[in-house]
Amino acid sequence: MYRYDEFDERFVRERVAQFRGQVERRLDGSLSEDEFKPLRLKNGLYLQLHAYMLRIAVPYGTLNSAQLRMLAHIAETYDKGYGHFTTRQNLQFNWPKLKDVPTILELLADVEMHCIQTSGNCIRNVTSDQFAGVAKDEVEDPRPTAELIRQWSSLHPEFVWLPRKFKIAVTGAEHDRAAIMVHDIGLKLKRNDQGAVGYEVIVGGGLGRTPMIGKVVREFLPKDELLAYLEAVMRVYNSEGRRDNKFKARVKILVHETGEEEFRARVEEEYARLDGPTINAPEEEVERIAAYFAAPTYETLPEASQVLEQARAIDPEFDRFVEQNSFEHKQPGYIALTIALKEIGAVPGDMSGDQMRAFADIAETYSFDEFRVTHSQNLVLPHVKKDDLPAVHAALKAAGLASANAGLITDIIACPGLDYCALATAKSIPIAQAIAKTFADQERQKAIGELPIKISGCINACGHHHVGAIGILGLEKGGRENYQITVGGDATEHAALGERLGPGIDAEDVPAAIEAIVETYLAEKQGSESFMETVRRTGAEPFKTGFTAFIESRAVESEAAQS
Amino acid sequence: MTLITEAGAVEDRFTRADTIDAALAVDGPVLIPLAIADEFAKARAGTEFGVFLPGSTPIDDVKPQLGNVALVAIEFPAFADGRGFSLAKKIVREGFSGTLRASGPLIADEFADALACGFTEVELPETMANRQPVQQWMAAKDTMTEHYQTGYGRGPSILQKRLAARKGA
Amino acid sequence: MAKDHRAGSKVRGEKLPAILMASHLLEGDTVFKTDAGWTRDPSAAKIAHDAETAAAMEAEGKAAAAANLVIDPYLVPVDLTDSGLPVAKHFRDVMRQKGPSIHPDMGKQAEFPPLR
Repeated sequence: MYRYDEFDERFVRERVAQFRGQVERRLDGSLSEDEFKPLRLKNGLYLQLHAYMLRIAVPYGTLNSAQLRMLAHIAETYDKGYGHFTTRQNLQFNWPKLKDVPTILELLADVEMHCIQTSGNCIRNVTSDQFAGVAKDEVEDPRPTAELIRQWSSLHPEFVWLPRKFKIAVTGAEHDRAAIMVHDIGLKLKRNDQGAVGYEVIVGGGLGRTPMIGKVVREFLPKDELLAYLEAVMRVYNSEGRRDNKFKARVKILVHETGEEEFRARVEEEYARLDGPTINAPEEEVERIAAYFAAPTYETLPEASQVLEQARAIDPEFDRFVEQNSFEHKQPGYIALTIALKEIGAVPGDMSGDQMRAFADIAETYSFDEFRVTHSQNLVLPHVKKDDLPAVHAALKAAGLASANAGLITDIIACPGLDYCALATAKSIPIAQAIAKTFADQERQKAIGELPIKISGCINACGHHHVGAIGILGLEKGGRENYQITVGGDATEHAALGERLGPGIDAEDVPAAIEAIVETYLAEKQGSESFMETVRRTGAEPFKTGFTAFIESRAVESEAAQS
Repeated sequence: MTLITEAGAVEDRFTRADTIDAALAVDGPVLIPLAIADEFAKARAGTEFGVFLPGSTPIDDVKPQLGNVALVAIEFPAFADGRGFSLAKKIVREGFSGTLRASGPLIADEFADALACGFTEVELPETMANRQPVQQWMAAKDTMTEHYQTGYGRGPSILQKRLAARKGA
Repeated sequence: MAKDHRAGSKVRGEKLPAILMASHLLEGDTVFKTDAGWTRDPSAAKIAHDAETAAAMEAEGKAAAAANLVIDPYLVPVDLTDSGLPVAKHFRDVMRQKGPSIHPDMGKQAEFPPLR
């Protein structure tokens, strides 16, 4: 993984000192709260319902064991002993005090981490495929691109006061695990007909209040032209994006209102005017960064592992874990392993300090000292020897991290919601907990198969509900929390926005409503179709019918209860 | 109003005038709206003057005047409105080498960004300058000594320094 | 620039009685106005029963914000329990009075007696 050189190190240290100064100037009144707020947000510091919240950047989701041990230390010293992995592959602490934040930033800098641009109206932490460098369907590892963009976007003098936040995702694989179609900019590494590597550039996707699928603005951008082209897109957006209405300020609205053709023309016009070669990274720099992401020194192993097969044969629990949580590795004899932070009844994405330390040891011993954070609020050990899997499973189990439900109906994404968030309109985590408990039975989960549920506690859609196979959106209605349910959302290369099934329902009705939707799926399912495949074939209609019947049965029940 | 450059607070040589009549009545350098620049230049050929304009102004509207004016003042309606930064960058790209002023309630924390995008000075309303005196601006511009982006600021970018170090090695 | 932060909650009907809630600038903790200053204990909050008291508390809140002590002070309509303690009418404000529903071991609910 990438390591800081003297420049990166100095840059991050100076940013810490800058923030320390900004806090002091806030306290002495030089900065008003209205001025300080965007400054603290650009350094990941929010003020939530009960406390400040600090969002730490995990660039493209990659971490090592020393970093995780430091996060454990910070959690236990300056927070309440746990951290929360987010849908943007970051980590949040929910209880830091403003006076401690500069010290926390110093500690993060000690392990080459920071909070730069994890919030605010600027280019946010770049996200990527959690199986980068591992997946078989990869044209090229997306992480060097993501790291280059991380550096280029860090305190970019021109683009720190954008109309609104700006999120970039990169994938190098055929199958999109980075949700590039629903980002402000999505980049897909590809080869052109001549075999040269470049990017497909997608602009104007996004979730939130007005969800939109991104538009391809460049079919093929030569790889060495990346930064100049990004600068052109950003300049058009910074100049022309709406600033009169916060809800219309994202680039997706600019693309939509300007029109795809005209937007593309404006970007190309700006691109023609700027001096690309002076902006783009030199080839040597691109190679320097890429060298950090060279494959680790794998052992030469046969594809199959007898140790693994034997262990699976005698231990059904282990067998289920491997079946559900492993991902095929391009290197024979290895797999990538998903660690679902989704124990039944737990808070999705939460990890205690003890678990962090235990997991750091596992990553160090069994995965070349590296692990990944996924946008599903899970972790990945990217390079595990199949021979080591029984030992890894045992260690994970001891730490309470061996949940065998990756991708299943209980592997739920949920934003923090009203339990923590100042913007939330409804609770989100308790809904996830209730659904997980309803479907806790492993055989039942297995019969239902892959079914990502995504829950947001407000319209801003941090829980990505628009692209959940089942999406749940919590709103306030008449002084109560109320939940709208959609089906058919998809964040992959088949990107689609979910369709609403009917009126919103009360929190306590949500688990039963999900059961009704699952019943419809199991009734409609043909052959081995997954939930999403069924929805794609049937459309939302049968699910609407089932949902309407569910609502009517509830109305009858409550009338009966009242009479 | 307080005018701050990289060297500290300076006197404003320009007198602001909103109409052509007011502009013609001024003795010495005058700062006028972009819309009356043509008219003023004809009436007072050879007089030193500057134009002010909002950050939302398209570059092609400013371009024709860049050869005539000594000062371009880009107005920031709010400190968090970054359009002026992109307009400054475009103006500098056109070869403008006069004074480039950011005018509005900017905060000291964005002084370095303003300078990096090509601004040479910032004109602050008095209320802002009272809360964030010049010393804060001088300190803020030097807090970060490195930048990654080539083409911004005075010194070479980190990417350029790395390249130079590699070639020197 | 539009405000990102939703300081107050939408409450229909009676706005009184009310308490004044804010966030402490340095700690980030939710605090409540008292006669003497601010408290972290939700049961010690001063209760405004009339519009004049509420207005005076709001003004004190604004002054404390201007003095860089608290952030986003706002009046919170409450119902009174049998023992006269203030419970916010809106579920969002109740969450701030108690702490996260998923962590009974954290926040005010872990530190102070419940509002009964």
